[in-house]
Amino acid sequence: MKRTKLFAALTALMLILAACTAAEDGGAATTEAAAGGGDGGGAAAGGTLDAVRAADVVVCGVNDGLPGFGVVGADGTYSGFDVDFCRVVAAGVLGDADKVEYKPLTADVRFTSLQSGDIDVLIRNTTWTATRDGQEGASFLFTVFYDGQGMMVPASTGFTTLEDLADANICVLSGTTTELNLTAVFGARGIPFNPVVFEDNAQLRPAYEEGQCEGWTSDSSQLASFKAAIEGEGGDEQFIMAEIISKEPLGPVVSDGDTEWAQAVEWSVMATVQAWEFGLDSGNIGSYSGDNPNILNFLGTDNFDPGLGLSSDFAIQVVTQVGNYKEIFDRHIPAIGLSLEGSPNNIWTDGGLMYVPPYR
Amino acid sequence: MTTTAPAPPRETSLDWVKKNLFRNWWSGLISVILLPLSLYLAYRALRFLFVTGQWDAVRVNLTLFMQGTFSRDEQWRLISQIMIFALAFGIGLGTNSAASHDRAQDAGLDVERGTIAGTLARMWSLVAFIGLLLFFATTDDMGNLINPFLFVGGGLVMGAVGYQARRLPRRFRNVGWLLTMTFLVIGFQIVSGFDAGGWVPLGIIFGVSAYSIAPVDRFEASWLRGALRFAAALIVVLAIRAVYAAVDTPGIGWDDWSGLHLTLMVSAIAIVLAFPLGLLLALARRSTLPALRIMATAYIEVIRGVPLITLLFMGQFILGFVVPQDVTLSAITRAIAVMTFFSAAYIAEIVRGGLQALPKGQTEAGQALGLAPPPIMRRIVLPQALTAVIPAMVGQFISLFKDSSLLSIIAVLEFLGVRKIIHAQEAFRGVGIAETLVFVAIGYWAFAFAMSRESQRLERRLRVSR
Amino acid sequence: MTTETQEPQRRNLARPPFYRDVRVIRVVSQLLAVLVVFAIAFWLVNNLISNMNRLGISTSFDFLFGPTNTAIPYHGTFDPRSPVWQMALVGIKNTFLAGFFGVILASVMGLLVGISRLSDNWLVARLATFYVELFRNIPPLVIIIFFGFAVFTFGPFPIFSESWELKVPGSVNNFLIINNDRWGIPGFTATGALVGFWAILIFGVIVAAYVWLRRTKHFERTGQPHHRVLWFTGVVLASLVLAYFLTGQPVDMSWPVISENRRRVDGGFIANWGWMSVTFALGLYTASHLGEIIRGSILAVHQGQSEAGNALALSAFQRYRFVILPQAMRIALPPTINQYLNLVKNTSLGTAVGYAEITALTKTSVGNGRPAFQSFIIVMAVYLTFSLSISLVLNIVNRRLELESR
Repeated sequence: MKRTKLFAALTALMLILAACTAAEDGGAATTEAAAGGGDGGGAAAGGTLDAVRAADVVVCGVNDGLPGFGVVGADGTYSGFDVDFCRVVAAGVLGDADKVEYKPLTADVRFTSLQSGDIDVLIRNTTWTATRDGQEGASFLFTVFYDGQGMMVPASTGFTTLEDLADANICVLSGTTTELNLTAVFGARGIPFNPVVFEDNAQLRPAYEEGQCEGWTSDSSQLASFKAAIEGEGGDEQFIMAEIISKEPLGPVVSDGDTEWAQAVEWSVMATVQAWEFGLDSGNIGSYSGDNPNILNFLGTDNFDPGLGLSSDFAIQVVTQVGNYKEIFDRHIPAIGLSLEGSPNNIWTDGGLMYVPPYR
Repeated sequence: MTTTAPAPPRETSLDWVKKNLFRNWWSGLISVILLPLSLYLAYRALRFLFVTGQWDAVRVNLTLFMQGTFSRDEQWRLISQIMIFALAFGIGLGTNSAASHDRAQDAGLDVERGTIAGTLARMWSLVAFIGLLLFFATTDDMGNLINPFLFVGGGLVMGAVGYQARRLPRRFRNVGWLLTMTFLVIGFQIVSGFDAGGWVPLGIIFGVSAYSIAPVDRFEASWLRGALRFAAALIVVLAIRAVYAAVDTPGIGWDDWSGLHLTLMVSAIAIVLAFPLGLLLALARRSTLPALRIMATAYIEVIRGVPLITLLFMGQFILGFVVPQDVTLSAITRAIAVMTFFSAAYIAEIVRGGLQALPKGQTEAGQALGLAPPPIMRRIVLPQALTAVIPAMVGQFISLFKDSSLLSIIAVLEFLGVRKIIHAQEAFRGVGIAETLVFVAIGYWAFAFAMSRESQRLERRLRVSR
Repeated sequence: MTTETQEPQRRNLARPPFYRDVRVIRVVSQLLAVLVVFAIAFWLVNNLISNMNRLGISTSFDFLFGPTNTAIPYHGTFDPRSPVWQMALVGIKNTFLAGFFGVILASVMGLLVGISRLSDNWLVARLATFYVELFRNIPPLVIIIFFGFAVFTFGPFPIFSESWELKVPGSVNNFLIINNDRWGIPGFTATGALVGFWAILIFGVIVAAYVWLRRTKHFERTGQPHHRVLWFTGVVLASLVLAYFLTGQPVDMSWPVISENRRRVDGGFIANWGWMSVTFALGLYTASHLGEIIRGSILAVHQGQSEAGNALALSAFQRYRFVILPQAMRIALPPTINQYLNLVKNTSLGTAVGYAEITALTKTSVGNGRPAFQSFIIVMAVYLTFSLSISLVLNIVNRRLELESR
């Protein structure tokens, strides 16, 4: 009988103590914290900005396997174009670009993670489409990269149009808009084809290089990066068809219904373009001595506050810690074989699409 | 196996070959075909391992494979964890070895004590894997080199120190078990942090201990003894709680774990959490109450009837929505939850098997002694049934360990998932694809093989002891 | 208050107070358990629905009738505009294709390995042990990826346009087409209505089964050799021939041919690399478990049985075939079926090599915006139906075997 009482007594004891603890901590899930789940999780929808400030960290959904946009180095740190924009958000909202927690996501699960509040912002080469805007409960913000879907084939094949690929195997990543566009375009033109779907580029590339697919369709930026890589490592010469299958505007995404947070993210991101337009970069933004009132507003001189919920010096934080758009672009994108010149990602004054509303 | 029986004396090697390779004409034919074939395959495999393989992708990213994106500044936590776990395992093994030695001596049997060398030899696959790691580490720069040696060296030393627990006198044996569990918890928390709320596991361990060993025998009244026991447990638990509240240092939660570390920890956490649930399910399934039985059976059959990956997808897509709006669960928390609920169903079946295998006479003997059903279950049936199913439980753990590779499909960076991010790195895009896969396979194999060997050994010993 | 406490005391002799009455306890505790479980389930489902409504996520199954919008790998005939439920059917078919052939491979390999482990030949036994310990300690997902990439993508096979075409000697027909993407072997194609053909064939199988029973009875009555396998096969073959000619030769051989542009295989039975990877990987993985089960079952057959066979001057083969294996199979049946179920469930990992089975297709479909909850509920229902029906059959068979052994 001794043991019976023991268990009853201990259960009672644990319950009492757990209740005490829970009451003290304001009902937080203490046992989970004890088990080690500690610091997880983004904030729920509504009041995300306050929640992020309280947690003092931005939880950012990223890609961990996309050259140029999001990769993990041998030392376990994230880097890339998308990753830098996570840092931009952290610098703008929290004043410290390092206060980011990266969550690697697959293409399939990214919107669910956003909806369930697992992440605060999704910056994972996500294409803005009407369906996603409407059905996935997601709000797409300022487009940071204008991409388009293209088709790559080995140069030796001599193919120049999609029609040349009738009946061919075409490599594509699963669960992406790329797959849908491929089916739509080939279907519309009545070209039979066979998709070979892969989970990630780490497996797609060898299949393509070994000739299992005759075509590889993806965002042009990715194709360019892999073309450079394959040719650079002594592989066959590659050809990217001139035809662009679809428009692929990529940008940060937040959950629907939290305008305050959306504004904070969007203006932090747009600050990088604004700084570029003003000719400010991480080197000179701290030492600006001119008297352009727009720039002075932008730098938060005299505590200019448009009421976005951001601190007045957020632009300085963003640009000094991460850089302006051109700096971010140059850090990652030329390395994968794309240049800014002549692309839609150039500043509007040079004929590109990077145009932000005035900060005043 | 008949073929490995000890050779009779004065058998020459020629005799051996005749007997084991050319017993009759078809045996000889098979030998002649298979021998060169297997030698050739072994040659190709070794050549790949040591000559033709492009192992740079593994070498450079060795740390990434081991700990993934876990902050390099916090690496001391992992090193301490390995050492403390090694200490805990050492103490546990030492205490266990001393206990079985004493039992054998009581029974008048003459047994040899286990040795560290013997333990390492049994775990040869793990030793070989660690050797492979060190080999890769030594061929790279010093940055990678120091840590593996710290891990391995520290682990070995602490394990050896802990093993000395077998020298403890018999009356301290329970202290050995208590230390083992304490160090396991502390080893876990050295990484996850000593938060104010982290007192629960140690609180349970020490609370139970205090309750059972409180010196209350000189009091007559049973209610007084109970009250004093309760008071002792309460004091101990409150003290532990106070210590944790005073320390209250956050660590690195499991959301930030990855690599092999995550693989091992996720499997361990899930199996530990699943055990009580599985036990309850097994009891419910064998209950005479139809409602309990039906619900438990339905749960077990549904979970066992679907693939883990669909449950993991469900977890990723749905689990975030079945909790209230203001609670968020990270991807790893959800994965652990799913693996726990998944394993519980399998553990329930294992435990049920153990319960069924127990002769009915055991229960009847308990009834004859006038015991109520709960004590019969707890003091007669469960101890025997649970001991009998230990090997199957180890098997379930191995299976869970292998299944944890599925987390890579839902973008959790465990051991297999690290492969994907390595091949996104500039230097290794499309380079060393087969090598990283082989390395991962060797890693899984080394752990699973060592554990399956231990489980077979346990099974043999349990069979003998019965 | 007082009356309530006194009343049970008065009746104490007759029966215990209600709170110690076993019948009451049973009912109350069950009610409590059901209430708790249902309360939790209700709370979870309620959260789910309210959260989905809050986020505007669809809770209906209408999506099943919307267009699929993506092509299915290696299913050129599938129209991307067909509804989602048709895609699901293709997925289910592929799941069973991989599962069925995987089970066959696993059984053959498992039997081979299980017997080899007990072989007198040291080398054979050692190799079998090596095989078992190698395959069963590596996660099936890793083995699938290994087959997909190391064997097919990087393997020794040529690319599609340079396929090896093995001809039937003295003919232009391909016997086998091999490349790193799709393999083709001869198959059959219907040239007319098949209803009559199938009807005659099924009738033939029924007759064959009857003959089997008759031969068995005959053997039991007279002790003369029954040759029931021969009889059975003979009757089935005869009915096949009969059906073929009676219904006007409605089936024709179909030879695999590589198309003019060397990008398609037309005709024959075509296996794609994803299917082969999943089938081989899971077949070999499961065989390592089956090998152990079969070995254990053979060892579990009492030694005396083998010795008795010896005493009857049976050869080694006869001892295995007629004495040991039939008994071992009985012991091995339940765990073997469990392994088969595991194999079918493991085909859900086909997504790693782009194999279009139900889980992979659903994953893609969810990634393209279909509601996750409803989609995966359907997938789980498919697996569950399969698992439960197999378990049911297994239970029935088990009960029969148990009865026979008494």
